[in-house]
Amino acid sequence: MPILGYIARRGLQAIFVVVAVTLFISFAIRLTGDPAVMMLRESANVTPEDLERIREGLGLNRPFLVQYWDFISGLFTGDLGRSFFRGPIAPLISDALAATLLLALTSLAVSLIISIPLGIYAARHRGSFADQIIRILSLAGLSFPNFWLGIMLILVFSVTLQWLPASDFRGPASLIMPALTIGVILTATNLRIVRTTMLDTLNAQFIMVARAKGLSERSVIYKHALRNSSIALVTYLGLQFGSLMGGLVVVELVFNWPGMGTLAVDAIAQRDYPILQAVISIMAVMIVLVNLAVDLVYVALDPRIRLE
Amino acid sequence: MTNLRTALPGAAALALIALPAFAEGTLTVAQRQDPQNWDPVDTFLLAWGGIASNVYDGLVRRDENLELQPGLAESWEVLDDGMRYRFTLRQGVTFHNGEPFDAEAVKYTFDRLLGEQGASGPQQSNYTTIDSVEIVDETTVDLIMAQPDPVILTKLSGYGAMIVPPDYIEEMGEDHFDMNPVGTGPFQFVSYDQGSRLTLEAFPDYFDGAPELDGLVFRFIREDSTRLAELQSGSVDVLNNLAYSAIPTVEGDSSLEIVSVPGPTIYSLALKTAEPAATADVRVRKALNMAVDKQALIDAFLGGRGTPISQLQGEMSFGHAPDLEGYPYDPEQARALLDEAGVEQGAEMTIDYRAGNSTFNEVMQAMTGFFQQIGVNASLNPVEDGVFLNEIVPQGRTNEMFQFSWGGWTFDFDNTAYLSYHDGEKWNPYGTSEEMNRLLDEQREVSDPEEREAILQDVARLAHEEVYHIPLYVEDQIFAISDRVEGFVPAPDVRLRLNTVSVTE
Repeated sequence: MPILGYIARRGLQAIFVVVAVTLFISFAIRLTGDPAVMMLRESANVTPEDLERIREGLGLNRPFLVQYWDFISGLFTGDLGRSFFRGPIAPLISDALAATLLLALTSLAVSLIISIPLGIYAARHRGSFADQIIRILSLAGLSFPNFWLGIMLILVFSVTLQWLPASDFRGPASLIMPALTIGVILTATNLRIVRTTMLDTLNAQFIMVARAKGLSERSVIYKHALRNSSIALVTYLGLQFGSLMGGLVVVELVFNWPGMGTLAVDAIAQRDYPILQAVISIMAVMIVLVNLAVDLVYVALDPRIRLE
Repeated sequence: MTNLRTALPGAAALALIALPAFAEGTLTVAQRQDPQNWDPVDTFLLAWGGIASNVYDGLVRRDENLELQPGLAESWEVLDDGMRYRFTLRQGVTFHNGEPFDAEAVKYTFDRLLGEQGASGPQQSNYTTIDSVEIVDETTVDLIMAQPDPVILTKLSGYGAMIVPPDYIEEMGEDHFDMNPVGTGPFQFVSYDQGSRLTLEAFPDYFDGAPELDGLVFRFIREDSTRLAELQSGSVDVLNNLAYSAIPTVEGDSSLEIVSVPGPTIYSLALKTAEPAATADVRVRKALNMAVDKQALIDAFLGGRGTPISQLQGEMSFGHAPDLEGYPYDPEQARALLDEAGVEQGAEMTIDYRAGNSTFNEVMQAMTGFFQQIGVNASLNPVEDGVFLNEIVPQGRTNEMFQFSWGGWTFDFDNTAYLSYHDGEKWNPYGTSEEMNRLLDEQREVSDPEEREAILQDVARLAHEEVYHIPLYVEDQIFAISDRVEGFVPAPDVRLRLNTVSVTE
């Protein structure tokens, strides 16, 4: 089974990536500020002994490599460690990851539902009035800042109409505005990709052959053309998913979405090294996994591609 | 975040419109910061006190006029020249879990704060003047001091000195307590979704009478405009830290009201008194003071919700010198002083300040305009918080001017003055005078409040003469409240006690 060997190799790569990324992050964040100072920033009469005592308590006066080893060996045995301020990290991460995954997958779904049919339509009616409109809308979608769209949605649907909750996760209704905000931005690019690749594919000879065989137009488009033009889209979705995992920080903050981006921003502000290291590791793992999934999807989409 | 897990299965039954129905008598407060943990020894955020004052009590309590009132102690006396405080405890008080409050709990609380558990937390350093706690009898405890501390009674009313339940902590463990607090206060813990909300309910057996409200919810919403939207949509009743830019919006909404009170936080620019900075010359420091029209800053950027200051404290602070007038706004006189000191037209100076506070950023830009008027080209150097606090200030690597904003919840000038004027302190990287150090040390030894107040006022006057700062203003604490809220009284120390507040439907 070459595929299992392939996955195993990629797994090893993932470990390497996680170690490299976390080593760099752990080192870099320690250069930017001392959590003991952050903890005592609102206290008066802080003596050097106080700072030393807190560093000792947090385990920060051990050599860097010892601290790092603690973290990374914990990580590979499934122990994410403790935050400096917020207790055990595992539940924090699992909640944030669930929230981010939910938002990311919904946004991607929203985007695909809009961009695939519209992109195909635009490609098939290239140069038509509808095509122009779709291209202008997609350009507009690319151009506005996503937090602005988020705030506008809140003003309309929460403040004026009072239909939807403005922030936090409080049931499915909470998902609508954030997913729409991110979905619209993703749609803008995905639409262009679908349209462009579809244009190429529709001019290919095999499409002519398919039509000549007397296949229905629907079958030609959705079975033959779409599948052949999906490679680019799948590649791009993989990249998008990676950045969504990092949390679209600004959108998460606007909707107070309890995801990975919010968790990371809070941790950076407090210099909560353990949380930040854990968040980065999980993100790295997720991105590696998504890339792996993308590669596997390639094979399914195009049997000519071989995993090596 | 347990609500996400439980809500996910419900996603199938997609209810499109799910605005929360108000539970009867539930008040929802929104604020920027999540205190992140609930153990009194672990906190380092003013935001903690605003919430935890509803869950815990100290031996003493401070009211909204900053006067000390009995808390879990009915009365107290100062013995042995301030080296021993004797507290008579309230009887018949229980913690939310039914555990009785007694002398043991007081001793446990302070042993824990001053012992190993407190050692890795930020609160211990505020209470190191306490040596130990002695139980005299079941309802009497003595606080034995290691050294005199004139502010200790005030400090007993908050934060690290909140009384905690011994049996509960021993049984359930420290981690559990940190996330599931139990105290003696008017509201008891229901649930905490980290980063998102804390839910409390009324504690009917509260010793001071059951609260008016049935429930109390704190929501943590980081983004200003989103927080405001939640207030406008009716999901939130009280909004803490209203952004200045939002004042007109709230004023234009007839169902909302703004309530404000001078807060603990003063804003100023500290001046580098070390050579080769031009500000090493006291005349230059005076000139820079005279260049600034403080009231104009307040009107333009704080929506008028602030008070100009002549010293690093507001009027409510203990040690405030009411007769101390700030340097007048007088650009001409300022220029004359600069000429006298040999500072040329167009001299370059730089202001270091903490990035991220958009209001202060605007104020700083206006400051460059004021300095321009007296022929000083000031440039701005915004620095990320952690770097500013770690690398720039304590290492003495600032430019001519650097931000100093401070707000001790104790409202005692010692808190601010000691760390900004005493040699060797973090916020005083360039040193002050011998006289200043002497005064600061002296007031810590004095137990007579009047005498001590007089010394602290001298500190303020001396700092004014030696010009270590450009004091700017004290910010108001601004709350926006919905008209269904009744009896809301803002506290200057940001510690909202909400047991006397009620809501109407």
